[in-house]
Amino acid sequence: MRYEAPDSLDAATELLSSEPGVSRILAGGTDLLVQMHAGMTEPDLIVDIKKIPDLRAIVAEDSGFRIGAAVTGAEMGEHRELKSAWPGVVEAVELIGSTQIQGRATPGGNLCNASPAADSVPAMVAAGATVTVVGTEGTREIPVQEICTGPGQTSLKKGEIVVSFKLPARPSRSGDAYLRMTPRTEMDIAVVGVGVNLTMDQEGNCIDARVAIGAVAPTVLLVPEAAAALIGTKVDESALAELASAASAACRPIDDKRGTKKYRIKVAGVLAKRAAKIAVERAGQSL
Amino acid sequence: MSKELHVIGKASRKVGVMQKVSGQTVYAGDISLPRMLYCKILRSIHPYARIKSIDSREAEALPGVMAVMNGKDSPKKFGIMLRRGDDEVLAIDKTRFVGDSVAAVAALDEETAEEALKLIHVDYEVLEPVMSIAEGTVPPNGEPIHDYAELGNIHKRVSLEFGEMEAGFAKADLIQEDIFYYEGNTHLAMEEHATVAHYEADGKLTIWSSTQNPHYLHKAVANVFDMPPSRIRIIAPPTGGGFGGKVDPLNHEMVVSKLSMMTGRPVKITLTREEVFYAHRGRHPVLMKVKTGVKKDGSITAMDFKSFLDGGGYGSLGVATVYYTGALQTVTYNIPNYKFQGARIVTNKPPCGPKRGHGTPQPRFAVEVQLDKIAEKLGINPLDIRLNHLTRPFTKTANHLSITTTGLRECIEAVEKRSNFREQYGNLPLGKGLGLACGSYITGAGFPIYWNEMPHSGVQIQIDRGGGVTVFCGSTDIGQGSDSVLAYIVAEELGVTVDDISIVTADTSLTPVDLGSYSSRVTLMTGNAAIDAARKLRTLLFETAAKEFGVPLESLDARDNVVFCPENENCSISFPDLVVKAESEHGTLGSVGSYAPPPSTLGGKYKGAGVGPTPAYTYSAAVVLVDVDLETAELKVEKIWIAHDVGKAINPLLVQGQVEGSVYMGLGEAMMEEQVFRRGLHKTPSLLDYKSPTFLETPDIETILIETNDPNGPYGAKEAGQGPLLPIMPAVANAVYDAVGVRIDEIPIHPQKIFKAMRDKEKGKEGRYGPKGVPEIPFPDPIRVESQWGQRADQESSR
Ligand SMILES: Cc1cc2nc3c(=O)[nH]c(=O)nc-3n(C[C@H](O)[C@H](O)[C@H](O)COP(=O)(O)OP(=O)(O)OC[C@H]3O[C@@H](n4cnc5c(N)ncnc54)[C@H](O)[C@@H]3O)c2cc1C
Repeated sequence: MRYEAPDSLDAATELLSSEPGVSRILAGGTDLLVQMHAGMTEPDLIVDIKKIPDLRAIVAEDSGFRIGAAVTGAEMGEHRELKSAWPGVVEAVELIGSTQIQGRATPGGNLCNASPAADSVPAMVAAGATVTVVGTEGTREIPVQEICTGPGQTSLKKGEIVVSFKLPARPSRSGDAYLRMTPRTEMDIAVVGVGVNLTMDQEGNCIDARVAIGAVAPTVLLVPEAAAALIGTKVDESALAELASAASAACRPIDDKRGTKKYRIKVAGVLAKRAAKIAVERAGQSL
Repeated sequence: MSKELHVIGKASRKVGVMQKVSGQTVYAGDISLPRMLYCKILRSIHPYARIKSIDSREAEALPGVMAVMNGKDSPKKFGIMLRRGDDEVLAIDKTRFVGDSVAAVAALDEETAEEALKLIHVDYEVLEPVMSIAEGTVPPNGEPIHDYAELGNIHKRVSLEFGEMEAGFAKADLIQEDIFYYEGNTHLAMEEHATVAHYEADGKLTIWSSTQNPHYLHKAVANVFDMPPSRIRIIAPPTGGGFGGKVDPLNHEMVVSKLSMMTGRPVKITLTREEVFYAHRGRHPVLMKVKTGVKKDGSITAMDFKSFLDGGGYGSLGVATVYYTGALQTVTYNIPNYKFQGARIVTNKPPCGPKRGHGTPQPRFAVEVQLDKIAEKLGINPLDIRLNHLTRPFTKTANHLSITTTGLRECIEAVEKRSNFREQYGNLPLGKGLGLACGSYITGAGFPIYWNEMPHSGVQIQIDRGGGVTVFCGSTDIGQGSDSVLAYIVAEELGVTVDDISIVTADTSLTPVDLGSYSSRVTLMTGNAAIDAARKLRTLLFETAAKEFGVPLESLDARDNVVFCPENENCSISFPDLVVKAESEHGTLGSVGSYAPPPSTLGGKYKGAGVGPTPAYTYSAAVVLVDVDLETAELKVEKIWIAHDVGKAINPLLVQGQVEGSVYMGLGEAMMEEQVFRRGLHKTPSLLDYKSPTFLETPDIETILIETNDPNGPYGAKEAGQGPLLPIMPAVANAVYDAVGVRIDEIPIHPQKIFKAMRDKEKGKEGRYGPKGVPEIPFPDPIRVESQWGQRADQESSR
């Protein structure tokens, strides 16, 4: 097994694409090293991307933010402007693992590990985030939800690296929130996770919304029906009830050790409601 | 003795704790010897299979590999039940669960040993596994898992009846029948088991191992290798938690011993966390059916209790576990007529065995939840249905157990007072609930695991000429503080400070036998042995001092390293000076003391009467406050009040630690922990996947210690390590009912289960989650014994 830590993107993509055997990107390693330790993967080449400056920065850009894919959860949590603009995205990242895990775990790793229960992904999808992907054949910019294609599977081609996440500019009176259900508070994997992002107008009507749900299907779901239940309403009890049923209706969960189907479907609706309430409250504060 | 106590009863630092917090403690896993080899074990990938052949030639040829062995190299069976043990050093011809041991390698390093495992080729014939209690109680499709099994895969059946069941039920105004299930779970000690074995050229074998029981390991090793015990020395270094998981002698201890014999070099193994889940010996899953007759006032007229235990692949202490699921129901409340039937079923899963509370948390859960159901039907407060029918001190139970002191009333009253249960129960807002439950546990099993009339615990004390005191005892400190208890007691009796005492424990060549750290026996038994030894020495020393001062021996006292006469200021001598005088007078100073439980506490004469008796029962009561989310059914425990009758707290701080630790472990069992399988495979053999609470789920715990001064305990002390676990699980279940009106008759109480019961209730169905039936198996005709409920229990001092 070879370990490389190049300091440029070009060198990294070159290393990855020219490796004839199995190559893996290493960010925080909180998924990859665990999988290697369990004998689930035995890469011939590991390319550590933490030395590449572009991947390690959070910058304000076009009134939004560009977050390097290898920025850690702890760094996102300490970024005051980011946290005040996108509290839902940051709280999702901060739910990953524990304080110790936060020091290593990255949003890029969380996305590319392609777990249906990854916590930051529903929040990113709800936020309408896009990712910049760089490979030997060039650069593409795609929505976050187009990366994962199934549990452990991504649309990334050999040699491609997710370089950064782009969070768009934020209209005033916008808010987002992420809630998850886990049997224990920390060090646990979501049974259901819901991200809600919305914008209100001056009269208190919801004029835009995105709702995404994790852990209830092979990939994170963007649920337009759930968003539609909010748009044009005052996000009152009846809108919330519709949101909950739309969110529940979208779920296609499996029965597993973390929750039965019926339970996950019901909880998805409840969490969607609660996340929407928090998002509305945050929108009110973000004038 | 009415002497004022100077050390006992005071909060003080645990012996050895500074080394622990500074990282200096040498655990078994830290031991490294010159020329030491590393062992790895090849484990079965099938839940049940016959080994047709093992080809290890490739592994043997790998550079760095020094020895490879399989079951045929050491075919004698062993176990905690000694001659009745069914554990194999390595599988002889069948593997009985995924993770069962098949072959082992000793190599220059762990990586080579692991590499070599991949080069061992095992040809298996896969057999039809038995994965549940239900499957194990019907005639098997294939061959039984063990030859000794009855009716297919039933390991052991018990059938006992005390008193007049029919008449008892006939007197009842209400007969309540319930079925409960308690899922299995594991100990989760922080230290993974590690063992180093060194077989030396003189034919002597030394084993350092993370064990709770050096003495039983000593016997088992001698037996497996047909060696005289005199050639074997077992040392238990400080153990990083046991909870029952290190009670059994385990096969890896035998494997490294054999590999050391084969190679002439020390051999070490450290189990991985995953392997610890396979070594297991944890909580038995138990299915229970309870039928209880009560009068209108809540008094019990008869109880018929059935339990079905899922034992996993081997016997462990399982025979005792079956009995324990029926033994202690009778010691808390008056049960004049009592019947117990139990069966342990062998299945193709990691073997179950003793875990904190050994076989009693499951029936206690059933009894305490059922009692709340009965109370509700009769319109009695849960407090009163308990308080009005408590067993009395110094009486016997239906099944011939002798109760000495009981502080259960004080325990219930204490938690009632702090929690305001009487006012709050039934009156909290929807979603909030309070639950009450009680429990009782033994302070040391009345009988050793193998029959003998020798002491259960021995202590030897030696004094050096500088005044240092060394205490030798076979007891094993697994973190509970047994070394501390020895030090406090000897310090108290000799009047020296705890810091002047050195403790040498758990070494079969240096220390007198103590049976081990199980059944909550250590404080009481080593404590009494230590008092016995220390008082002999104290008499010798005081004789010298009395002569010196010309005062009667009885007028002397000792504390803080000074022996003095309280009435006479001029009579005072430092402990080291007195030691010099005493040694000049008496010769070398030393003494021994020993303890065995008094015959009056040893219970009945019927077959099976050996499980349950103890010198003293402890009692606990807990009130739990929960919050259940009305939409998601998420369960949060917000507060726990627990009172424990510890007899006398030798060190209240350590007792509080044991109580809080029990509460924490109990919450894990109540809310999330489970040892579960999919197609024979353990689903969660890691600390990340096996859900156990973190301190974020641990609520504020208010601990109240009740002191009843038991005549059989040292200074009145009883146990604290296991009893306080017992009320937690049923109290949580009872609180969930108070919060949202549904009964969860199954442990653990996952949100999904509450959710399902709440939905059923909304739909007008019974708001209950739990098992619906028990297997129909033929039990032998019960052994019928007359009930001794309410009879006077004699008091007598220890033999
Ligand atoms: C104890 C523990 C608790 C955890 N708890 C949670 C939790 O609560 N919620 C949760 O969602 N997850 C949890 N995880 C999983 C993990 O921490 C997260 O998924 C984390 O975000 C992964 O980030 P990383 O940087 O460590 O990824 P790595 O392990 O470095 O990488 C993960 C995968 O993504 C690939 N990859 C990484 N970066 C890129 C990139 N820039 N471009 C392309 N591919 C890339 C890697 O090759 C690898 O396959 C937990 C893990 C542990 C060990």
